Amino acid sequence: MTELNDFSRQSFLGKDSSKILAETRVAIVGLGGGGSHIAQQLAHLGVGHYRLIDPQEIEASNLNRIVGATSEDVAEKNSKVKIAERLIHSIRPWAKIDVAQNEWQHAGDLLKDAHVIFGCVDGYRQRMYLENAARRFCLPYIDIGMDVVKISTETYAVAGQMIMTLPDGPCMKCLGFLSQDRLDKEENAYGDAGITPQVVWTNGTLASLAVGAFVRLFTPWFKSSRDFEWLELEGNNQLVTQSRQPEYNIKGLCCHYSPEDRGDPFFDVRQITPVG
Amino acid sequence: MISIFRATDSFLQAVKQELDRPHPFAAERVGFISVHAMTTHNALVLLAEAYHPVADDDYVDEPTVGAMMGHEAIRKALNVALFQPVGMFHVHLHDHRGAPRFSRTDLHEQLKFVPDFFKVRPNMPHGAIVMSHNLATGRIWLTPETVVSISEFNTIGSRTSHDRIERL
Repeated sequence: MTELNDFSRQSFLGKDSSKILAETRVAIVGLGGGGSHIAQQLAHLGVGHYRLIDPQEIEASNLNRIVGATSEDVAEKNSKVKIAERLIHSIRPWAKIDVAQNEWQHAGDLLKDAHVIFGCVDGYRQRMYLENAARRFCLPYIDIGMDVVKISTETYAVAGQMIMTLPDGPCMKCLGFLSQDRLDKEENAYGDAGITPQVVWTNGTLASLAVGAFVRLFTPWFKSSRDFEWLELEGNNQLVTQSRQPEYNIKGLCCHYSPEDRGDPFFDVRQITPVG
Repeated sequence: MISIFRATDSFLQAVKQELDRPHPFAAERVGFISVHAMTTHNALVLLAEAYHPVADDDYVDEPTVGAMMGHEAIRKALNVALFQPVGMFHVHLHDHRGAPRFSRTDLHEQLKFVPDFFKVRPNMPHGAIVMSHNLATGRIWLTPETVVSISEFNTIGSRTSHDRIERL
């Protein structure tokens, strides 16, 4: 072990945890306020393989929250994925990183052979589509998101959530997070939503919860007894609690996704060259 | 190019539980896992869909091997691949922990029936897997003649793992 790869302070994560993390392939969709925090924390943890997907270049308004971004990046209009790539390599030069400055729907190859997908996207519908992809590829999906709601003239409520779902557990529709009502409201408000409020400390809290869920999934440290996690952040008082909504919403096995829907429906083995 | 076999933890536990049940005369049980598939520029990913156990009556009483399937067992498995767009992977369980290995008999017998699946479902890969209580090894037929090893097993669950297999 070189000095730069000393993970002794996190050896409690379990036997071989450094090797497990170094061999894990993570896909992060969205490298803004949430995704950049996740990328940074995963690099510190020693995750070895990254697939970074985001179509956007950085803007001045992003500097309030994107970890690793600089004013020079804004001047040079650098892409968010390149900023994240530089950040990860500054911590772990040996990390293998694939980037796609594109919508994730055009970068499916980077998701299919990942071991987990982090979703840091805006909007309920995008979350639904991304979880749909995770189910099709039979992968764990870890989602974070925050919102700021004006509750009176000068009062704002900050809230957010971290949700982890597994391919054979309840999905975000089963849990009650992705409701038809929310999807409809978002669809009808399209184009009138204004600027999405985002702040660095709430993004950081949610990213930490997501990375905690990831570590529980992949290392021997602490096994969750549930096949999903939904943590709610009440941002004004900075309280994190387990959501109680699944207790009222889960009606049995997931009826939205089936193992029959996995993979590529047009797959043809005769189209590929032999694997080595 | 790597090849990945991916299944949920609950699915694999259920398969192992079924394979671990004693049979009236066979020393071990066998079955088939149906799979879907997808590719990237450098990976073939197989996704387990369902388990198809070999019925008690479809074993041949042959004490020189752990388990021998009769014609009816093969016919039923071929039937699944004929009517569903899936690849079929023969599976059995070795009662130990650590990396399992196919026996010489396994390797010989696989050559007799795995290529037949291409007659009914030529667009899907087929193959064979042997599991231990914590690891697995497998072979993929990409054509009736082209066989490669599964290079990585992904188990997806509240404890997710990705075990690399270095060799058969």
